[in-house]
Amino acid sequence: MARVHKFRFSPARAMDAVHRTFDEAGKTGALLRTAGSYQGRKVELDGRMLYNFGSCSYMALEIHHELRAAAALAVYEYGTQFSFSRAYLECALYEELEPNLESMTDRFVLVTPSTTLAHQAALPVLIGDEDAVLIDQFAHASLHQATELLRDVPVHLVRHSRIDQIDQLTRELAPKHRHIWMIIDGLYSMLGDFAPFSELEYLLERYPQLHLYIDDAHAISWMGKHGRGGALTHLGKHERVVVAMSLNKAFSCAGGALALPNAALKTRIRRCGGPMLFSGPIQPPMLGAAVACSKLHLAAEHAKLQEEVMCRIDYALILANELGLPLATYDRTPIFLIECDSMQESFNTTYQLREHGFFACSSVFPAVPMNRPGVRFTVGLHNELEDIETFMSTAKVILQNCNFGDATSSVQREHFYKSSHGYEQVLS
Amino acid sequence: MRTKNELLHCAIRSMYEVISFAEGGEPDWERMKHVFLPNARLTRITPDGIDHFDLATFQSMAQEMLDMGIYTSFYEHEVTCRADSFGSLAHVLSAYETKRNLTASGFLARGVNSIQLLWAGESWRVLSLLWDEETEKNPLDLNQVFASEVICG
Repeated sequence: MARVHKFRFSPARAMDAVHRTFDEAGKTGALLRTAGSYQGRKVELDGRMLYNFGSCSYMALEIHHELRAAAALAVYEYGTQFSFSRAYLECALYEELEPNLESMTDRFVLVTPSTTLAHQAALPVLIGDEDAVLIDQFAHASLHQATELLRDVPVHLVRHSRIDQIDQLTRELAPKHRHIWMIIDGLYSMLGDFAPFSELEYLLERYPQLHLYIDDAHAISWMGKHGRGGALTHLGKHERVVVAMSLNKAFSCAGGALALPNAALKTRIRRCGGPMLFSGPIQPPMLGAAVACSKLHLAAEHAKLQEEVMCRIDYALILANELGLPLATYDRTPIFLIECDSMQESFNTTYQLREHGFFACSSVFPAVPMNRPGVRFTVGLHNELEDIETFMSTAKVILQNCNFGDATSSVQREHFYKSSHGYEQVLS
Repeated sequence: MRTKNELLHCAIRSMYEVISFAEGGEPDWERMKHVFLPNARLTRITPDGIDHFDLATFQSMAQEMLDMGIYTSFYEHEVTCRADSFGSLAHVLSAYETKRNLTASGFLARGVNSIQLLWAGESWRVLSLLWDEETEKNPLDLNQVFASEVICG
């Protein structure tokens, strides 16, 4: 792969920096924790039940009785593992799941062992040596990793959602390449913002060589007709758009899926996409749960549940505005990032939230840029409106206290400044 | 007419201005060429090693950080300093804070810049910028760093 850059950070040094972040996080118990019992609305940590504001299960389906029953039935029928490569023999449940997902999306769907492996299967098949790749700097890490498999293809990093850069680079690269593939997330998992779908649609119409590959993992289930997500809602009819879905997160089962524009592409990735041949399949209990879940998505009641999620999202946005909580973005999504002044403030805030009975996540580099640490929280059907209100009010108080603490140190700095040597005392 | 001391203050302020940038922006590369001398050196001390740059390689490193999304904005300002000069040379020990934006009350990081400047006829220009950031193992006690005077000879 020809990654286009002049300076390269040493991977070992980057890992050292990440390692130190975990050291820092360890002091306040912000990362690498293990839960006790789990009820959806609450999760046990250190022997205490905390209100859950960290889960990606926006539709609360992981505790749905029909999914539990379907998983139990599938394990009874097929065992804990169907231990064949899908290249030879697949579990019968795939034959039910893929058509259901096709009904959900109005696309040709290939189920994959995970969303990460979907990228690894699809990108080397979709993108050829004569193509070029643009990738959003904040695209999911699994997408950046998958582009490493594109050995002879130039890969250009694009600043986050900068349509002007995509436009300019596509124009420059079009004469030299067969296809230009723009790789993005549909909904960015840390800042909680959507891709600029309307502007991308305009570019698709303007440049016949432009193709989009969209990881829409975080928008599946809670958004769009039958839970097809944001990317397919906006761009699903476009032939030059491929969408990767997650059957984890809000779908609450296991595996990933590719929503493809035609049957030929599905067949080609099924036959030639590396992980489709050498990676293990999804285990029968989770396939059974996924079949049951896909049926729930196709039922009329699903839209009502989506409305309830949207109600919670809107409530959180209203509260953020009323309380003056600084959010990284204000899109109507279940992901929120309260901006903090430092990594330490992020760790301290999630620690204090836990002390007050709430679980939320610290979001620091490398998950977000160095200059955008924050507290990431999610809302969904697990969260009652009163829980959301209490959580956000508590977060506001904690952050106010953090800022008061810093104001004290500013006074100390001012005192120091006056007493220190300055430019007025230059020796000449 | 500004004094040399006032111009030294201006040069340091300009240095902080050119490396700072708002969300989605970049350092002011053109202005940086005026603030720094063409043969300036920039040296970064980190817990993992020491990096040596000239202006071109510093820009390349910063560009890569921007492309990778390591930073999307950068605000660095001086907290306090100690300045010494003689004839056409000056040295400024300048404690800094980096912040996520101009109004943030807390800081992302802090450390000390050691800046050598050369009098270029009408203004001071930066010949060397060497910086070390505060870490747990390298705590910054401003009173200690800036209270002591080094007497030579």
